[in-house]
Amino acid sequence: MKAWRIGSLIAVAAAGAWILYMFPPGAGSFYPRCTFHALTGFLCPGCGTTHALHALVHGHVLAAFKYNPFLFAVMFGSVYASPSLLRGETPPLFMKPWFGWTSFAVVMGWWIGRNLFLT
Amino acid sequence: MNCPNCGTSNLDNASICVNCGRPLSGTGAVPPPPPPPQQSSYAPSQASYTPPTPGSAFGTQPPAQQIPNYLWQSIVVTLCCCLPFGIVAIIFAAQVNDKLRRGDVGGAMHASKQAKMWCLIALGCGLLVAVIYGLIGGAAFMQGIREGMANR
Repeated sequence: MKAWRIGSLIAVAAAGAWILYMFPPGAGSFYPRCTFHALTGFLCPGCGTTHALHALVHGHVLAAFKYNPFLFAVMFGSVYASPSLLRGETPPLFMKPWFGWTSFAVVMGWWIGRNLFLT
Repeated sequence: MNCPNCGTSNLDNASICVNCGRPLSGTGAVPPPPPPPQQSSYAPSQASYTPPTPGSAFGTQPPAQQIPNYLWQSIVVTLCCCLPFGIVAIIFAAQVNDKLRRGDVGGAMHASKQAKMWCLIALGCGLLVAVIYGLIGGAAFMQGIREGMANR
């Protein structure tokens, strides 16, 4: 069961990395655009994720960070959480009472802040 | 009071531990798992019927594990660009943690269901948008191939 989960996770990640490596995002690409950005012109918390991942699989870590620094927080979180999630458990940190509202504050702060100061 | 299982300090009226999810009864006893089902006498006659594995999925699981907060799912769907719905899911996920802290198991379960619903709404919208963009992009790709072959 666990080997099956790890295997499928690696397969999906490898396929995603290959697509991102071969096909650059941007005008004329087949990647989905951000609905919020298309409707309002503002950036959403996830805007730049595809560009950042494309830069990352090409080894351009700094460029990836500039596209979306929040993605790095999520990636570190994924590395921390994946052993628990593969066992089918909720990671202990995610059940801490303070962690829910902290995540909310970080996402909202990043979302508002990037539109106010980083455009 | 302190949790008898992991020692974490909890509120006095909390019914389960915020850290490990064990019940915080007055005696501090963890309920024993149900006894394994008796299957010696009738098992040979019901060879096709597989009884549920005793103790593994039911009974031994602490209550907090049965109330998932869907926090990481909410953050992931927020990143995947269905913004208002993902934010709503994060708010309900945070409420799950809050209500477990206060020992409000019923409220936590309600917030958990809401968080799950908004995660699924956000995921559905995200997939819908992805499929639409995929169709548009795929059509343009095929058009390009057709034009390329016509020009050859």
